[in-house]
Amino acid sequence: MKIIYITLGESVINTHGVNMPKHIISGLKYLATVELRKKGHNQREIAEELGMDRSTVSHYLNGRNVSWNSIEIAEVIKNTCPKDFLTLTYALLKDEDKTRTIIKTCLDKKYVCKVKNSCIGCGICVDACMMNSIVLDDLKARIDPYWCCGCLICVEMCPTNSIEIKEVEVDGNNRND
Amino acid sequence: METTEMIEGKDISVERTGAEDRKLKFKNELCGSCGLCEKICPVTAIEVNPTGAMVRTEQDASKIEIDESKCVLCGMCSSICPYDALDLEIEGKSIKELEEYPKLIKSSEIDDEACIYCKACETACPPGAITIARELPDRSKLVSGEIEIDKETCVKCGICEEMCPADAIELDYKFPTSDDPTIASDINVDKDKCVYCLVCKKACPVDAIKAVCRICSYGDYDIKAEDSEIIGNSDIDAETCVNCGWCEDICPVDAAKVTKPFEGKVTIDEETCQGCETCVMACPCNALSFPESAESGDVEDKLHIDEKYCIYCGACERACPVNAIDVERTKINCTPIKSKSWEKAFESVKD
Repeated sequence: MKIIYITLGESVINTHGVNMPKHIISGLKYLATVELRKKGHNQREIAEELGMDRSTVSHYLNGRNVSWNSIEIAEVIKNTCPKDFLTLTYALLKDEDKTRTIIKTCLDKKYVCKVKNSCIGCGICVDACMMNSIVLDDLKARIDPYWCCGCLICVEMCPTNSIEIKEVEVDGNNRND
Repeated sequence: METTEMIEGKDISVERTGAEDRKLKFKNELCGSCGLCEKICPVTAIEVNPTGAMVRTEQDASKIEIDESKCVLCGMCSSICPYDALDLEIEGKSIKELEEYPKLIKSSEIDDEACIYCKACETACPPGAITIARELPDRSKLVSGEIEIDKETCVKCGICEEMCPADAIELDYKFPTSDDPTIASDINVDKDKCVYCLVCKKACPVDAIKAVCRICSYGDYDIKAEDSEIIGNSDIDAETCVNCGWCEDICPVDAAKVTKPFEGKVTIDEETCQGCETCVMACPCNALSFPESAESGDVEDKLHIDEKYCIYCGACERACPVNAIDVERTKINCTPIKSKSWEKAFESVKD
C-alpha cells in the first residue's frame, strides 16, 4: 500500500496509519449529521441522505462511535479552501451525491455567481462542476448559487474566462468589497 | 471529463464525455478549405492546412487540423461551416436540430412541377450533387404512318437498311445456293423503330417501298398528349450541395431556387494576380474561371468571377499566394442568435 501524506494545516493525514479513509469519512459524516440535525432533518432523513443506518445517526448525534481524532481531521478538511474540501471529500467517498450533500450541509458560505456575455456555451463548466450547479441556457452557462460551493473549478477551466464567483457574507454583503 | 481525438482516414472526430457527451465530426470530403472555422474558433484549436497545397497536390493530410487539447466543443465551427463539413453532436443529436444554436439559412430546391429534366443543372453542379432521372416517351408513339415493302419487287440490295436512320429495316442475309439463288431470305421493317422519314422509299432503286407519314399529311392529330410526356424526378443531395446557385442560374425554366448563406463582394486585384489558377482550383462553387481569348492577341481579364455562383466563403482569398483576392462578407443569413458571444463571433467572420 502506498503511503500518502496530505498536509492540511497542522494535521497530517497518514492514510496508512490510524486515520484510514473510512475514519475520516465517518468524521465528515458526523459533521454533516450534526448540521442536518440543526437544520431540522430527522434521523431517518439524515440516514437516507448520507447513506448510513439510523442507529449510526443516533450514535453520532449522541457523540458515540466516532473517534474525536477523526472529527478533528474532518474539521480541518472542512476548513480548507472549498476546492480542497470538495475534491478531498469526493476522493474519500467516491460518491457524487453524498459528496454534494456533505459539502452543501457543512459549507456555510454564500456566493454570487456571474457569467459574462463572453460565455460561448461550450459546457466545460457543466461537465466540471461536481456540485451540478451549472446548466446551459441559450448557449450561456447559468450557475445556481444555492448549489455553488465556491470551488472555482469552473472559473479555472472556462476557456473564455467568463465566470466570476465571489463569496458574500451570509447576510448578503460582498466580502470582497 | 475527457477530450479525445480520433482520425479515420482524413476524417476527424473530437469527443468529450461528461455531463453530456459532445462529439465534433469533420468530414474531409465536404470541406471547402474556406477557413471560416479557423476564423471563428474562440480557442484557436483549428488550423486549416494551406489551401493551395491541398488543391494542387495529392495530400495525405486532412484539410484541417483540430487540436483536441484546445477544442472546447462549443460548436461555433459547425454552425458557421457553409459546407456542413463540421458537425457537433450533443448526446448524439446534431446542433443543427437544436433550437438554441444558430444555423445558416441556405437551401437549394428544384421544383419538379416546373422541371423539364433537361439535365443542365446536373451537368453544371460543381459538387455533382444533382441527379436527374428521366423516362423518355416511346418514340413509336410520337410518329404515325404506314410502311410496306413489296417483297416481290425488292431485290434485297440492302440500301434501305444502310440508309435507315432509325435502324428499323433488317434483312436476313444468306449465301446464294443453286437451289435458292438469292442473297437474303427476307426483309422486314420494325414498326416500333420506324419514324416514317421516307428515306428508304426515296433511296430504293426498284421502288419496292410504299411509305407515308401521316403527320406530314394530316398534322399530329393522332398523337396523344400523354404519350409524349417526359416523366422524371430531380434530387439534390443536401450533404454535398454547396448552394452556389449554378442550378438556379442555368435552369432554362426557373425550376431551381437557391438561398445562399452569405452575402458579400469579391474584389480581384488584376495588377497583383499572377494567373496561377490556384483560386480557380480551390473554389468549391466554380465561380472563378480563366477566360479564353477569342482570337490570339486579344487581351482578356486575367481572372473572371461571376458572383452569381459565389457564396463568399473565402476559399479563393485563402488560396491566393499573392493576396490578389479580397472576399468581403456583408451579411450572414442565419437563424436568430440569442447568445451575445455567438453574435459577436458571427460578426467577426464578416470582413
